[in-house]
Amino acid sequence: MTGNTAVATATADAGTARRVPVGSAIYNGIVEFLYDEASLLDQIDLVAWGKTLATDLIYTVPLRQTMPLSQQAASIVRTTAHYHDDHRSISTRIARLTRTKSAWAEDPPSRTRRLVTNIRVTETAQADEFAVSSYLLMTRSRCESPDYHLLSGERRDVVRKTDDGFKLARREVILEQSVLGMPNLAVFL
Amino acid sequence: MTDVMTRTKDRLADGTRIDELIDVERREVQIRTLSDHELYDLEMERIFGKAWLLLGHETEIPNPNDFVLRSMGEDQVIVARARDGEIHVSLNVCPHRGMRVCRSDSGNLPVHRCVYHGWAFRPDGAFIGSPVEREKMHGEIRTKAELSLKKARVTVYGGLIFATWDQDGPSFEEFLGDMKWYYDMLFCRTDRGLEVLGPPQRFVLDANWKAASEQSASDGFHTLTLHQWLGEIAGFGNGDLTTSMYGVEVTSRLGHSLRCTHLAKKFEQVAGTRASELTVEERLAMFPPPGISKEMVPELMRNLKPDQLKLLTTTPPQVGNLFPNMLIAFVYVPQADGTVLGLIAVHAYVPRGPGRMEFVNWLLAEKDTPEPLKQAMLRESIHMFGTSGMIEQDDSDTWPEMTQVARGSQSRKVTLKYQAINTVGRPADWPGPAEAYDGFTKDDTQWNWWLAYRDHMVSAD
Repeated sequence: MTGNTAVATATADAGTARRVPVGSAIYNGIVEFLYDEASLLDQIDLVAWGKTLATDLIYTVPLRQTMPLSQQAASIVRTTAHYHDDHRSISTRIARLTRTKSAWAEDPPSRTRRLVTNIRVTETAQADEFAVSSYLLMTRSRCESPDYHLLSGERRDVVRKTDDGFKLARREVILEQSVLGMPNLAVFL
Repeated sequence: MTDVMTRTKDRLADGTRIDELIDVERREVQIRTLSDHELYDLEMERIFGKAWLLLGHETEIPNPNDFVLRSMGEDQVIVARARDGEIHVSLNVCPHRGMRVCRSDSGNLPVHRCVYHGWAFRPDGAFIGSPVEREKMHGEIRTKAELSLKKARVTVYGGLIFATWDQDGPSFEEFLGDMKWYYDMLFCRTDRGLEVLGPPQRFVLDANWKAASEQSASDGFHTLTLHQWLGEIAGFGNGDLTTSMYGVEVTSRLGHSLRCTHLAKKFEQVAGTRASELTVEERLAMFPPPGISKEMVPELMRNLKPDQLKLLTTTPPQVGNLFPNMLIAFVYVPQADGTVLGLIAVHAYVPRGPGRMEFVNWLLAEKDTPEPLKQAMLRESIHMFGTSGMIEQDDSDTWPEMTQVARGSQSRKVTLKYQAINTVGRPADWPGPAEAYDGFTKDDTQWNWWLAYRDHMVSAD
């Protein structure tokens, strides 16, 4: 894993990491952050969403492979990936979608709904950073088709508390599908 | 009976002659070709049952007993390396009761054992035996050789694995024809060759495989509109994409093509010098082909002929195809810091029914490319190509709409037009073989794709 090693990893060791209890002030703040984020993405306010990203963001979506039960670790592929981005490349993607007149993959845009559940928060070695696991179900409706494109996965985030509110510092989305059922990922997860 | 009928069939059920779907005089194709079920079934026999098909790269299965699962048309196959290092492609269907023999996307197994009744096969497809041998589950009517997995014919070219069901058809070299000279410039130019940077991205879309494949045959015009954002944001051609549409398109009646673009203007912009005043080494250092570091330049000089080096340093191939369903990209992407990053990708557009296809995207680099450059290529490839690729997400949103349209009773009679015809012809002093068209991009490459398609669909042997 490349990048700033000062930032906590998204997969905090459940055995030693302290759980941030459901209902605590930090937990509630992070839940609000995730709900607000889902709303910004679903309303396609990508410029505002961009402001919630830490400048040292690493944003990845690994591939999945069908593997035997005994080799499940290998079912997650982190060499090639669906997304492997940093703050700069995510900003380019946002600029394409918001500042050009020809990002046709999302113009007209899909109608999306991001349902975020099963939120678990743990402390990390950094006092201001929290490892946040949540489940994501995104429904995507495109043009006149009545069939939804569905995408589900687990987000493994690092959320950082700053004077300017919470910021997303890491996101890895573990998808279930080895073969995605939508024509592209022109949307953020 | 069915086999005899499909082999000799030259009309669809409504009486339409298959060869008339493609109007050779007017260079038009009926859109119903993108939705017709009957035609699709014939394509599976006449194209995907015959042509050489891309299945992957040998670096995906480097060790004995390594395997990956892939598809030839709708037939799933096991691509495996045997103990002696040879690569074999076998139908992933148990000859006993039709169960899938192998169910993991990749792995390493000396024996593939069907979970249903336990029949076992070697990586080369050979039948080993069934459980409780003396009770003869596999009987005595068929020999063990007859009970092996159905084998495809395999070739490895530039590390890429291709296979065909046509045991007696053209060799892979014959299949490439005179376009091989150009593909060698891309796939056979370094001492140790290319390698995959990981397993391929895979996703399905509700589109006919031909909507994607005919575009891969070097459709240049779509760039101007569908990928207009490149000019708006990324600064290609200084905001005017039309300047990058001049070049040389090479193609043949076998349906293969490549679009080569001039570097001359870029040399002027970057170096303030004319390309003709620079040596081959200087040009290679200034605009290295994708993944080639300065240290690797001597490898290129060794592996390529002078004429190939001349093209590679003045008018390199950047995108193109291999008939029927393979896209090739060796793209130069200008970076914010003024350097140029090269990206290498190949795709297979795999049929999954008349209105469905799977997009399989392999990202590659030369084995000898320095690791940091490899990682930069990988990241940039993910940003530009495939699932989330900012270029290709626009393409994959287009093909489903064409496919949907092709079902309407009136819409299906609309024709696809390929009437932008090159009138310049072969550039002066062009050193390469095949058809070569100078100037602004035109439709000749894609038209050759449809002529090759027509040839396959009407050949009734």
